[in-house]
Amino acid sequence: MTTEPSIFIGIQKRRRQYVSTLCLLLLVLCALACLNLTIGEKNYSIYQVLHVLTGTSQEGAYLITRLRLPRTLAAILSGIAFGVAGNIFQTLLRNPLASPDIIGVSTGSTVAAVYCILFLNLSRGIVSVISVFAGILVAFCIYRISYTDRFSANRLILVGIGMQAFFNALINWMILKAAEYDVPTAMRWMTGNLNGIVTDSLPLLFLVVIFSLTCILLLRHGMQSLTLGDEYAIILGVRVRIVRAALILCSVMLIAFATAITGPISSIAFLSGPIATKICGKSQANILSSALVGALLVLGGDFIGQNLLFTRYPVGVITGLLGAPYLIYLLIQNQKGGRI
Amino acid sequence: MQQNHHLIADHLSAGYGEKTILNDVTLHIPHQKISVILGSNGSGKSTLLKTFCRLLSPTEGNIMLDGKSLPTMKSKDIARTIGLLPQSSVAPEGIKVAELVSRGRFPYRKFMSPLTSEDYAAIEEAMAAMEITDLADRSIEELSGGQRQRVFIALALAQQTDILFLDEPTTYLDIAYQIEILDLLKELNHCKHTTIVMVLHDINLSSKYADYIFAMKNGHLIKEGTPEEIITADTIHDIYGINSLVIPDPLSKSPFVIPISSHDAAKGIS
Repeated sequence: MTTEPSIFIGIQKRRRQYVSTLCLLLLVLCALACLNLTIGEKNYSIYQVLHVLTGTSQEGAYLITRLRLPRTLAAILSGIAFGVAGNIFQTLLRNPLASPDIIGVSTGSTVAAVYCILFLNLSRGIVSVISVFAGILVAFCIYRISYTDRFSANRLILVGIGMQAFFNALINWMILKAAEYDVPTAMRWMTGNLNGIVTDSLPLLFLVVIFSLTCILLLRHGMQSLTLGDEYAIILGVRVRIVRAALILCSVMLIAFATAITGPISSIAFLSGPIATKICGKSQANILSSALVGALLVLGGDFIGQNLLFTRYPVGVITGLLGAPYLIYLLIQNQKGGRI
Repeated sequence: MQQNHHLIADHLSAGYGEKTILNDVTLHIPHQKISVILGSNGSGKSTLLKTFCRLLSPTEGNIMLDGKSLPTMKSKDIARTIGLLPQSSVAPEGIKVAELVSRGRFPYRKFMSPLTSEDYAAIEEAMAAMEITDLADRSIEELSGGQRQRVFIALALAQQTDILFLDEPTTYLDIAYQIEILDLLKELNHCKHTTIVMVLHDINLSSKYADYIFAMKNGHLIKEGTPEEIITADTIHDIYGINSLVIPDPLSKSPFVIPISSHDAAKGIS
């Protein structure tokens, strides 16, 4: 080894810190998952839960395997999906405001889903697929509208915020027009909710999360080069268009599939990346860390909404409360820097 | 590792949108030399550099590397041969210097694998060449302008290309940093035989450091040659439209340009 100690040690040290932070986040996530499985209307001990899960006991089996386990898994998977996708958008567009739930991509999927549920009465599986395509279409439209002579991230964000407002109005209109008995289902699409998750919808989300996450991790060196700007990425030999398109496609898939199952849980995509970056520093790609932070936020938000307040609130209400102050803070900060 | 790379622009035209900026330029980058491209604002110097580095596609003509046209080659292979320091560089805030320089290793990295010992050796060598080893664990925004520029040159060096383009590497830097960076580049050319091509605005610094000069005007290459051949009162007038007095630099004997202003004439000095 001809390596200079100081450089080698520094990079290695920060890498190890990153890995140990990831392990810590994973531990907290496991603990929170245990809490979600054991505490609720009826409390069980961790042993009882383990017995039920291994099939050696039937006490509370319905509650645990039919309600709490799917709910916990859905929270973790959708949290990962929202967290990673948000971080990719923010990293590629180099702006913390550029998360898919702010620039209309998530809302685009939601519009399609609400329309399918309220007016076409389609099943969940088909709704997911349609909302994926809607998300991709909307992402592409926002890109095309904002692309004049060259690509500009700021213009894209402004176009996206406009689209977002338009889609929200559309959703409100559809809910007003819908048959009354469909409205509770559709309301899920306004806030994001983990009630009534059915186990059969989870394997698909699981596969999508694994597939997209693997693709994104494979492309992470390219993504890190893109953070230096397109010029540097080209000089470094990154096939910019392909890498960027693949990353956006994976993110939109994550967002759309998760949205189809849990609804747009507000602020997760927006908050996870910045929190992960704050904890782990900017020298790392922060893909896995934002995945874990996203899962923690959804799981934690759901736990608070279900157990710690006087009434039960859907998870989206709790996480939405977290997002608003941060958005205001960001806008003030960015204004100071003279950026959008 | 050092190979004889031939980089040629063959009847090259390029521009932005409808506007043609670079017009039918044919040139051969001198091997293992320091070349400087001189020209007034808007003469197509930066456009030429960008086209060489694939940031801009030629509208006509070709760039040939070792007899092969660039678009037919793999991006990573090109990235191992041709590097560029762009005119302005923006680093992600909060990134550490060592990690930033390590980004230069992208063309050598395999999917998923961590940095290898060769990567570390290249990063270390690049940082040592730019004398920024001490700054490895600092954040980029803590650094001064001159230090930052050296970090970005180190990033380009970590890429270990035989040909390095630099677009105005000394702009925004004071004279001490300018000399420091040009000396470091000269050293690099001398020790590693890296072919260096740069755009500079300062004629006298160009004359001092260049082995070869390309003079551009209105998108055309109007003259090329050694500093002694190019830096003459006539050519300076052709390029910039100014009158000047050219004398040998008392230290290096390279041509030294003194621009003549209308006030000089009024005082009867010329």
